[in-house]
Amino acid sequence: MMKPGDTILHMEGIVKTFQAVRALDGVDFDLGAGEIHALVGENGAGKSTLMNVLAGRFADYGGRIALFGRDVRLTNPRQALALGIGVIYQDLSVLGNLTVAENILLGHEPGGRAPGTLNRRALRARAQAVLDDLGFDLCVDEPVAPLSHAKQCLVEIAHAIRKDVRLLVFDEPTASLGADDVERLFEVIRGLKARGIGIVYISHRLAELPEIADRVTVLRDGKMVGMRPMADCKISVLSHMMLGRTLTEMFPPKRNTPGETILKVEGLSRPGMFHDITFELRAGEILGIAGLVGSGRTEIARAVFGAERAAGRCTLEGRVFARRSPRRSMARGIGMIQEDRKRDGIITGSSVALNVGASVLDRLSAMGVFLDPRRIRANARRMIERLAIRPPDPARAIQTLSGGNQQKVILGRWLARDPKVLILDEPTQGIDVGTKAQMYRLMMDLAAAGKGIILISSEFFEIVNLADRILVIRDGRIVREMPGPGTDVDALFAACVRKGDS
Amino acid sequence: MIQALSVVGLLAAICIVASVRSATFFSWQNLVYNVLTNAAYLGIIACGMTLVMVAGGFDLSVGSTTTVCSVAAVLTLQAMAGQPVWLAIAVAVAVTTATGVMLGAVNGASVAYVGVNPFVTTLSTMLIFRGIALILTHGGQTVSVPLAFKSVVGRIYWGKVSLFGVAEYQVTIPILIFVGVFAVSLYLLHLTRFGHYVYAVGGNENASWLAGINTSLVKSATYAICGLTCALAAVIYTGMSNTAQASSYGGLELVVIASVIVGGTPLGGGGGGLFFTLIGLLLLSVIENLLPQFGVQEEYRNIVRGLIILIVVAVDVLVRGSGKKARRT
Repeated sequence: MMKPGDTILHMEGIVKTFQAVRALDGVDFDLGAGEIHALVGENGAGKSTLMNVLAGRFADYGGRIALFGRDVRLTNPRQALALGIGVIYQDLSVLGNLTVAENILLGHEPGGRAPGTLNRRALRARAQAVLDDLGFDLCVDEPVAPLSHAKQCLVEIAHAIRKDVRLLVFDEPTASLGADDVERLFEVIRGLKARGIGIVYISHRLAELPEIADRVTVLRDGKMVGMRPMADCKISVLSHMMLGRTLTEMFPPKRNTPGETILKVEGLSRPGMFHDITFELRAGEILGIAGLVGSGRTEIARAVFGAERAAGRCTLEGRVFARRSPRRSMARGIGMIQEDRKRDGIITGSSVALNVGASVLDRLSAMGVFLDPRRIRANARRMIERLAIRPPDPARAIQTLSGGNQQKVILGRWLARDPKVLILDEPTQGIDVGTKAQMYRLMMDLAAAGKGIILISSEFFEIVNLADRILVIRDGRIVREMPGPGTDVDALFAACVRKGDS
Repeated sequence: MIQALSVVGLLAAICIVASVRSATFFSWQNLVYNVLTNAAYLGIIACGMTLVMVAGGFDLSVGSTTTVCSVAAVLTLQAMAGQPVWLAIAVAVAVTTATGVMLGAVNGASVAYVGVNPFVTTLSTMLIFRGIALILTHGGQTVSVPLAFKSVVGRIYWGKVSLFGVAEYQVTIPILIFVGVFAVSLYLLHLTRFGHYVYAVGGNENASWLAGINTSLVKSATYAICGLTCALAAVIYTGMSNTAQASSYGGLELVVIASVIVGGTPLGGGGGGLFFTLIGLLLLSVIENLLPQFGVQEEYRNIVRGLIILIVVAVDVLVRGSGKKARRT
């Protein structure tokens, strides 16, 4: 049994390169038994990559790792598991087609009497024991696929916590949890700490750290920027270390003036998803939509855009529009940047030029039929320059660009159509700090030019610093409207979470 | 589940209509000797194919694999001419089985260890294996079982056994072998850790890998087992004509894959199973049996076969709502 204070993990000079990008550039990290060490940084800083090295997902990293005093070379997940490392991933890796019990014991199911068989009764009993031990309210026989995101999180945690686990990594565990679940999670984590398990806690939600972490390490652009005891740390200092600049430097000054109403949404409803959504958007206004995961924000936006079916009435510039398909919405002057860039945004395998021009190919073709490479390239170069896309090469395959630059390409796609209304769903997710600041400036430019912007974001400080008004969505309904300037992050979070408010 | 139920319903409806319109359909003779015996060797391969597809892959090369196995069986018997019958057959079965497993393992190695996707891998091996069969038969000649063994080998296909000793109700050996293979497959898929992992890998291969499951071994094992089922089917079917040809079993893979899909195993794996496949196979076999009985001419039969598959899957897609989950984000 490890004593508190024993070093269980020592990582020195870790380097990891993906193609041309140095995701980790000589990072040091260590962890003691019974310690909660927070690892923070913006997207792209390298937190997940560092933990993936620890989980054995990459065989080709540089640097030295010592576990429980012995040097190891981590090359595959099974080896990492055998050494007592458990990871709870941000994008959950639960098996939807199996039950809760089967997920909890995945990879170490109890055997039956005949060699090679499964003892299903023991499986259910052991899974139930794990759930009871952790205090999770889940049914062992339930299939996992229909469970809410929060409950799937709990299944994932129950899976990672095994009898022989000595080191646990939590990668953004609270990203999709409500306040109650967060509190329960913290209790679980403190319980694990008391058992002498070392815990790495990855988050970019700095506000929760003082409550849970003992130490904190900040990464930025693959490098270690600093390591401090939590008690000696102020949030604003951490934030500065993470961003390399102060928060106020991140956001452009407000220079847009909201004018006439251009979009009116009345009674938008879809049974089971959202109900009676009514709001207005003015030209030159940034309307923020805030809500927790599961509140229905994305579905509402997609319905306005015509990507989801819904009952209700929408008028654009006074004329009713039918919301029948994205194509029609596009023709009327509405654009939308989707939440999942990889799945719903970029056209993998295509060039930057074709991705940027995807929505205006009719204008870039001779007689609307034959693609005109010169016009396509010219369009691409215009957007590359306007949005500072790197590398500035129209012929590059889109998937080789960083997340931030890919997002700029998608933005360029919509700007080419000069929409009157632009809906942005998590536009800065998975993007490095520098590009985030650029995106904020671009958004302010668009608003100042008279476009109506709807901004959906889980980053409350984004909404608070950019929006003129904020709509709070809970359980598919608009529960409150708050002003942008002047509202602080905690108040917004509270409004998103509080039950029994109207 | 809905798809499986609709298939059962469709099968029942067709059987009822058939027995009304044709006096001979529901006879033991027709059902057992024609429908089920013909379906038996397909069913054996379908057991292997189900495993492959539940794990998320599929195997276009089963027809060619079965061909190579049947050629191997006959050639082994020829090489054993002059030996006692039972020894010759035992050796032939051993050689054929080994051949099937080896060919399956080639598929498995390519898909699971090299990383070529199942479609490309098995499309290529489909051609390669058939080429091997051509070489073994010196350019496509028919090879025959030696005269001395013909009657015993023939009994593998044509032999009948009385059910519970009642002389009126006899089942053919192929059906018995299929039942055995089906039972073993059920045990493998539902009672062993390996079978559990087959579902896990089909459900989310990445998560399974991260959980420490040896996904490469699981996937390649499913292909090896499928090869094994091809070998068994070849052994049975050789008994039908006592010959082997490099050109036989064409189109076999499509029927087997269709059975699995119609039965309800989704193309991505992770669901479905052996009973589903059995239902799918029964439906397709009954339709096969009825096409000539109902006077459907040769030219139209393919259309009927294709339409059944398309309609069954389309109904499932429409009823389930094209797989989109109603979850808020």
